[in-house]
Amino acid sequence: MAMAALRREGRRLAPLISPRTITAVRSSPLYPTLEDEGPLGVRHISTQVVRNRMKSVKNIQKITKAMKMVAASKLRAIQTKTENSRGLWQPFTALLGDLPSADVKKNVVVTISSDKGLCGGINSTSVKISKGLHKLNSATGPEKETKYVILGEKAKAQLVRDSKKDIELIITELQKNPLNYTQVSVLADEILKNVEYDALRIVFNKFQSVVSFVPTVSTVLSTEIVEREAESGGKLGDLDSYEVEGGETKGEILQNLAEFQFSCTMFNAVLENACSEQGARMSAMDSSSRNAGDMLDRLTLTYNRTRQASITTELIEIISGASALEG
Amino acid sequence: MTLNLCILTPNRIVLDSEVKEIILSTNSGQIGVLPNHAPIATAIDTGILRIRLNDQWLTIALMGGFARMDNNEITILVNDAEKGSDIDPQEVQQALEIAEANLRKAEGKIQIIEANLALRQARTRVEAINAIS
Repeated sequence: MAMAALRREGRRLAPLISPRTITAVRSSPLYPTLEDEGPLGVRHISTQVVRNRMKSVKNIQKITKAMKMVAASKLRAIQTKTENSRGLWQPFTALLGDLPSADVKKNVVVTISSDKGLCGGINSTSVKISKGLHKLNSATGPEKETKYVILGEKAKAQLVRDSKKDIELIITELQKNPLNYTQVSVLADEILKNVEYDALRIVFNKFQSVVSFVPTVSTVLSTEIVEREAESGGKLGDLDSYEVEGGETKGEILQNLAEFQFSCTMFNAVLENACSEQGARMSAMDSSSRNAGDMLDRLTLTYNRTRQASITTELIEIISGASALEG
Repeated sequence: MTLNLCILTPNRIVLDSEVKEIILSTNSGQIGVLPNHAPIATAIDTGILRIRLNDQWLTIALMGGFARMDNNEITILVNDAEKGSDIDPQEVQQALEIAEANLRKAEGKIQIIEANLALRQARTRVEAINAIS
């Protein structure tokens, strides 16, 4: 085997071989070699290539680790806000009920997604659910229609491909400024003005914990549907028992209430989705830096083997050269 | 018999306690709520809310929202709320003056409406302080 290695090296060093074999041998490490297949089919990667690879993998590891830290700090900041906003929509649900099964003609699906990528699978799940809702609604009858309102670049990219005609409104770059209620209520206002709806279904990822994000749908019904459901009894039956004051007509108050409910639910949904995005990004970057670490270990082993192989061949050349001189 | 009062804003829970009686101002006037009131759902205007617990009255400035009362549980959802004790009198005086000045030089419908809104909010906060003292 040593002779085979020598033959291989000999072929490469043919132009450099001189009576002074020692200098020829010394120049071999400087000879930039590339991968080459010897007669036995053994690959001979040079150390330079492996070293370059190790450097780039190490850089990737550093970057993903930094991204994970950034996501963790952003998560902490936004998590307190989210928890505070959770109490906001619960009274609405207690009063008006959350009826995902309400049978309505005009459905509007509001899909909330992130603008930036590298955050795991949360955007795909939101889009899948939105498409599912669309199919569900159109399957139950021809006069039912479903429209999309999209928040965020990622859902836009996925939904524009096959449902372009059903999209009413697209809003992106939501997270440029820190999220606050005024901004979201303006947004909610825009949506309510431009879109006709009987029921609004908000699709987002609820933040259960740092490792679990559950896709959820919140339903906000328009006032006519609420009246209809209230009359038919069931969950909303007690709505009629409330004495409504503070305005001219009951309808006007309920209308305002519905709009307020929508903006509160939107606020909560947007915050939860932002939390989920940061959490998902944290875990994605964590697994990616761990993979980079594993890859680095494997490359280090390869590097050491290559290095030792080249030292061995050097020694063999020296020894055989020396023995050739003697003998 | 006490009422469980809960005041929520989009950013935080302002108050969550038991009270004896509340007086809140709606779009159509002020209403007082005692325990065992009939269930009501009303819209709240920008104004002050007075709470009585143990013969002591507290004022809270509310910036518009909704209230719901059911079975001795009151839930108030507003855009913003400030406890009277948390308001700084000097700062509020200044805010009031600024709001009045803005209203005087506001032009165009939108600016006038905004200035009016800011003025009402500033006035509410001033009232909240005065009502305690």
